[in-house]
Amino acid sequence: MKVQPPKLIWKFFRWFCRKDYLEEIEGDLVELFEKQYETSPGRARRRFTWSVLRYFRPGFIRSFSPLTNSNTTTMFKNNIKIAWRNLKRQPFFTFLNTFGLAVGMAGTLLIALFIHDELRFDRMFSDADRIYRVNINNRTAGETSDYASVSGPLANVMRADFPQAELITRFKESNSVLLRKDDSQKNVKEEKVVGVDETFFEMFGIRLLQGNEATALLEPRSIVLTSTAVEKHFPDGDAVGKSLTIDNGQAYLVTGIVEDMPKSSFLRDYQVFISLSTYEDAKSIAWNNWSYPTFVKLVPGADPETLHTFLSGVKDNYLIPWAMTFIPGLTVESSRQDEKETGNYMRFGAIAMTDIHLHSPNIEGELNANSDIQNVYILSFIGLFLILLASVNFMNLSTARSMKRAKEVGIRKTLGSSRPGLIKQFLTEAGLVSFISLLLAVAAAALALPYFNELSGKSITIPLAQPGFWLALLLTTLILGLISGSYPAFLMSKFAPHNALKAGGENSLKGGKVRNLLVVFQFAVSIFLIASTLVVFQQLSFIQNKNLGFKKDQVLIIDDADAAGEQLESFKTEVERLSLVESVSLSSYLPTPSDRNGITFFVDDATNTDNAIIIGNWDIDHDYLPTIGLELIAGRNFNPQLKSDSSSLIINESTLQMLGGTAEEAIGRQMTSDFRREDKENAHFMTVIGVVRNFHFESLRNDIDALSLTLGKGANKAIIKLNPGDFSGSIAQIEELWAKVAPGQLFNYYFMDDSFNETYEAEQRLGSIFITFTVLSLFIACLGLFGLAAFNAEKRSKEIGIRKVLGASVGQITYRLSIDFLKLVGFAIVLSIPLAWYAMNQWLQDFSYRIEISWWIFALSALLAVAISILTVSQQSVRAALSNPVKSLKVE
Amino acid sequence: MGEHSLGEFEELVLLFVAAFNNEAYGVLILENLEKKLEKKVNISAVHVALKRMENKGFVESNYGGITNERGGRRKKYYSITATGKKMLDRQYELRTSIYKEIPKISFGQ
Repeated sequence: MKVQPPKLIWKFFRWFCRKDYLEEIEGDLVELFEKQYETSPGRARRRFTWSVLRYFRPGFIRSFSPLTNSNTTTMFKNNIKIAWRNLKRQPFFTFLNTFGLAVGMAGTLLIALFIHDELRFDRMFSDADRIYRVNINNRTAGETSDYASVSGPLANVMRADFPQAELITRFKESNSVLLRKDDSQKNVKEEKVVGVDETFFEMFGIRLLQGNEATALLEPRSIVLTSTAVEKHFPDGDAVGKSLTIDNGQAYLVTGIVEDMPKSSFLRDYQVFISLSTYEDAKSIAWNNWSYPTFVKLVPGADPETLHTFLSGVKDNYLIPWAMTFIPGLTVESSRQDEKETGNYMRFGAIAMTDIHLHSPNIEGELNANSDIQNVYILSFIGLFLILLASVNFMNLSTARSMKRAKEVGIRKTLGSSRPGLIKQFLTEAGLVSFISLLLAVAAAALALPYFNELSGKSITIPLAQPGFWLALLLTTLILGLISGSYPAFLMSKFAPHNALKAGGENSLKGGKVRNLLVVFQFAVSIFLIASTLVVFQQLSFIQNKNLGFKKDQVLIIDDADAAGEQLESFKTEVERLSLVESVSLSSYLPTPSDRNGITFFVDDATNTDNAIIIGNWDIDHDYLPTIGLELIAGRNFNPQLKSDSSSLIINESTLQMLGGTAEEAIGRQMTSDFRREDKENAHFMTVIGVVRNFHFESLRNDIDALSLTLGKGANKAIIKLNPGDFSGSIAQIEELWAKVAPGQLFNYYFMDDSFNETYEAEQRLGSIFITFTVLSLFIACLGLFGLAAFNAEKRSKEIGIRKVLGASVGQITYRLSIDFLKLVGFAIVLSIPLAWYAMNQWLQDFSYRIEISWWIFALSALLAVAISILTVSQQSVRAALSNPVKSLKVE
Repeated sequence: MGEHSLGEFEELVLLFVAAFNNEAYGVLILENLEKKLEKKVNISAVHVALKRMENKGFVESNYGGITNERGGRRKKYYSITATGKKMLDRQYELRTSIYKEIPKISFGQ
């Protein structure tokens, strides 16, 4: 028995080595091995192994690619070639197919990008899944409300007693501020300013471009600016270490620069961050200031349930003990008893930060407007419909043309082509079309993106550099090609060759029923979208024209009026003298976005917690009611002559509901917010002197909250009601007066109805997105119908010819050709209208104030659909009807 | 493509092929190389050089008869081609001509 080299290695060598080298090299290896084996078997084996490995290199490894003359690749190449020729032969249909598909794909692509952006909202922050926001759910006097902002002391309490909290950051919104550089007289306005705890940057994993994340916001009166804000205030870029004067008051030190906040985050608008330690009340231990949105990051692996458990105990463990210090007789037990009897409660809870944008409603204290997962669903449906409509087009046009290709299929089958082979060929064709459409769609989407961003209020980019994006795109295209190609492929490959080849053979239109069904589907979707769009727009205009309880037209607002300081009152008097000015009021509060303030009142008795209500409180002046146009239903307005009115108060109807009784009965009732003092009997009470009709000071999505109006100073807005006339002239006059009382201060004005419209931006965006994609889908559906009509006219040209010869009129023929399609559209109307009615009713449920859907909306959408389809079809039908019968009958 | 070049190791192998013309095969060349160079050489290096030079047209090969050694596998014998010989001559000339240019240097003996 001869010695053998290591078997496995040898096998490996024989597997990979080129066949033409094998004998020679193997021989040499074995010879060497045998020679060496005599002296040292071990080394011989090692050397053999090593040598074999050294041969594992290009030049010695055989080719592993499959046989080059494989039939599959040849057929594939051939299929592509045939597909290309077929597409070229019928440029009109090819154009309809690719164009329709490309439009559909581009629309869907945009929607997909939009949805992707919505879904990844707030997820870019480090450990986003461990961050939660504390919420309050509160019920007083039968009114439930939610707040996204909580008491200041809660953060400290959690830091001390809740070990699962890794970091806690409070926010404090401070609306707009005026910033002034040291060396400048001019104020520059910053709209989005927020106070944050020093943990802010660390908690959200935000890196500073300049400055230290840990210490930047430690000291009072430190501010951090975004790059955009730096550009605005310090064009030379040198900001850190400089100081800025805020609202003509104290100087703040710029301690850091941060990149602009991510667009897809709740922080997106903020430009200026102020250290929270700046604010005195942030250090307060009083629980009655509910203006701090509070975010908590849990330690890794912590159960969110622990947070909920801790928060559910906050009221009993911290809030009540604090209140006990000034409310005698209050105990945890007595407050529980109260809750049981009155049904009132206050619950602390938490929501995951990543859920805020899509899964929570807009509630008070929200740092930014939220979207709604419902919109994501709606858009997903629209996207899906768009792409389905486009592929339906493809199916319809392909099967309609199938007759033309019947001969081709017959010959192929006679020559031995198998059915799978034919199916493959048709699928290749579909794949090619969808691939070309894909390229067109990406280009179209890229072109349309800036407009789409405008429309949707986002800043989406196409991730062209990401391989995942292309992979997803290619995969979708492949699937789309398969879906839209499978039906025609299945149908066409079924032709029996003897029928297909017979002269004048089977001339019936194959797949007619399915095709009709698909047209019905297309139009049903289109009509559904038209009706929905109409409802959305009607609701929008309803909101804009609804009697809001106040008059928003011709009301000019001057922001930051407090910059005028002591001069503000004289400014008011001067403006009132202008000819076009009807009245002027000073306040910080408006029915449109502005300051908000909540206050706890004890009604009638300062010790009875049963009678406590939390309601909104606005500081206004004597002229506020007439200027805004609020209507008194009982009592009177504040009277400048009456000193006592400083402790008077006007309530709205929602507050009246909490108090109970009629408006007249409410006049003269006593309320106090002065319940924390020791000598309760001396508490300072306010008297109700008037009740105003409810007016919408929040979005119409919500009910009207309880509100109280009191006389107060410190207004930051001047509200000017103008008479119709030369607005620009009046504004110029007012600006002149402003420059006199507040030299160097910004004259910042807007009209209230503009500001009001901004409140409904989300709805308006949804409306525009809706209408855009409705038009797109209608367009695609018409493209398909157009193709079918053209084909139909062509196919029936002989019939038309004969009819004409026998005396049919153009009108009759046009009617015959069009009526078939109109029947389908009629079916679609019947199908889609109940669906649209149901869906839109669901959507409207979201609004507290909404329209009734009326029948004419559906009539109008049906009419639109019919009109558009007649337009589409008739052009082809008329052309066919007008053609000379000699031409169509001459052939053959 | 221009003139093929000849690497240093390839040149050595080619010299052996010329020396044992028609009798040169992998193991023989390897053993002689190891003897002359006084170091271990891997058989794969020899084969790589041979295959390369065959592609360049410096050597050609043919199988010998079946033997009883090496499991009955045939040996592949290499011989030098005219181009190969020309290449060797040129290399040799080049070297000697340059070598002659070297001035007489005394290394201070």
